[in-house]
Amino acid sequence: MIEVKDLMKSFGSVQAVQSVSFSASDGRITGLLGPNGAGKSTTLRIISTVLRPGAGSVKVDGMDVAADGNGARMKLGVLPHQSGLYPRLSARENIRYYGELNGISGAALDRRIAELVELLEIGEFADRPAKGYSQGQKIKVALARAMVHGPRNLVLDEPTNGLDVMATRALRALIRKLKDAGHCVLFSSHVMQEVAALCDEIVIIAHGRIVAQGTPDALRQQTSESDLEEAFVKLVGEEAAA
Amino acid sequence: MSFRKYLAVFYKEAVDNLRDRRTLLTVLVFGPLFGPLFYTVMMSTIINRQVADLDQRYTLAVQGAENAPGLMDYLRQNNMDIEKAPEDPREAVKTGKRDVVLVVPDSYAAALRTGRPAELRLISDKSRESAGKNVERVRSVLENYSRSIAVLRLLARGVDPRALSPLAIEDADVSTPKSRAVLLLGMMPYFLLFAAILGAFYLAIDSTAGERERGSLEPLLTTAVSRGTLVLGKLSAVTLFSAVSLGIDIVALLWCQRIIPAAKVGISVDLTPATAAATFLVCLPFCLFVAGLLSVVASFTKSYKEAQTWLSFIMLLPMIPVLGLVMFPMEPAWWMMLLPSMSQDVLITGLIKGEPLKPLFVALSVGSTLVAGGALAAVAVWLYKRERILG
Repeated sequence: MIEVKDLMKSFGSVQAVQSVSFSASDGRITGLLGPNGAGKSTTLRIISTVLRPGAGSVKVDGMDVAADGNGARMKLGVLPHQSGLYPRLSARENIRYYGELNGISGAALDRRIAELVELLEIGEFADRPAKGYSQGQKIKVALARAMVHGPRNLVLDEPTNGLDVMATRALRALIRKLKDAGHCVLFSSHVMQEVAALCDEIVIIAHGRIVAQGTPDALRQQTSESDLEEAFVKLVGEEAAA
Repeated sequence: MSFRKYLAVFYKEAVDNLRDRRTLLTVLVFGPLFGPLFYTVMMSTIINRQVADLDQRYTLAVQGAENAPGLMDYLRQNNMDIEKAPEDPREAVKTGKRDVVLVVPDSYAAALRTGRPAELRLISDKSRESAGKNVERVRSVLENYSRSIAVLRLLARGVDPRALSPLAIEDADVSTPKSRAVLLLGMMPYFLLFAAILGAFYLAIDSTAGERERGSLEPLLTTAVSRGTLVLGKLSAVTLFSAVSLGIDIVALLWCQRIIPAAKVGISVDLTPATAAATFLVCLPFCLFVAGLLSVVASFTKSYKEAQTWLSFIMLLPMIPVLGLVMFPMEPAWWMMLLPSMSQDVLITGLIKGEPLKPLFVALSVGSTLVAGGALAAVAVWLYKRERILG
């Protein structure tokens, strides 16, 4: 469960996020949708404790990210914009490092790594250095790494970026699987179809503000557009959507 | 801070970078072996040039040998062969074909017979140091010949030849072989500190600017580990690489001492394993200092390339006090112990000279360097706590 309330953040004179509130619940996939530069990444970065909120609050399973960063991070798995694997380490080593940093070790860690290798189907290349991985393989390993400590909440920043069709489908199936396992999945995207195909809940953000939120059906009704893309354009305004 | 997590960061940085060939070559080869190699070549060259091998016959080029058959005999008795000088002796010396040419003018025999100073000309090029030993050798044989003629003349006139030597000057060189060695070994602190810096160089960049450029810093910061633990783990790995490079450098220098024919110039260097170990320990705090300095600077830069540019410049900073001492030699003083790199320089120099370490100096040096290294580590932690670390 991730709750964002009245979140604000500025960099110098630029207001990146102004008054953003939404919540993402367990067992649901919540999509943060918005054009480039709308404030999606900034919001996700504050949730993942890499940036501090300027004002407002973020709670992960009831834990305030500003007050107890480490506690919140234990309950969060984060896949940032870039996969950021260590190219000279293998998939297993990359995952193991994050496990150790999150306080898991010994046989428990070995078991967990084996589980993730199985779940994400990375056994084939798990012991090769990450340098030569395809984009899809990188995302899988980065996701395994983010999940090594078994967090209930997953934050994915544009996870399908740079993936081909097959890899995208595989990732969607995986995200659904995670939802069925009771995870709270929050992910961002600027691709309408993606969000429509996957999300239970959509939060549309533009110019650092929430312009609409609800289920896909509710959004279609709200704008009286049957096509979700038209609904999106209507909501964020022609200019921002371009 | 969790010690287990600290170890995880330390271990990952070390293993990860051991797989990087450039880092590995720098830490194991370029950093530590550049100094000893340079030193060996320089030393050997200096020694070979300074010491003329008197046992070996030298072929002297002489113009007008027929004018002085007696002198030629004397030269042959003194282990020299005579050959005819080239057409243009000055040109031959200038171009380096001959180290020295002796010219005997036609007037030589007549002057010698009548007791006037007989003119001889030695053509040499003083700017060519390598020729120096042969010029000196010929000159000293000629001087001996001159003296023996003088003695004979005085004896013929019934004068005691000792009248020629009113002064008996004895050369007493008070520099001990060890302190002379220090002149030649003056470069050693420079090599050692250089090795420590180069060992830290690539890892310092890779673990800061490199991490950010790869995009691996952001996910790293989302793990449940404090930023202080992260930075300390990284700094420890950099310090280890620096110390490894330094250690290899010392062992290599130790070995070089054994194979260099330093005894030929009357230098006895005993860089014993014990002094080598003391040198290593005295320099260890400097490794931490360098790790802190390079990491802090690299944390400011945006990319691997930019970090490389900055660090190439920054790595010269610790060398300034060392070079300063070479140009303006000063007696060791306590205040020098407060300056990292200068304090190690002074202590290493003392160790090579065979002087006992002063406990106060060592304590001040270790203390001040650790404090400076600790302060830099604190700055690095602070830098990582800022949001701007993501760049």
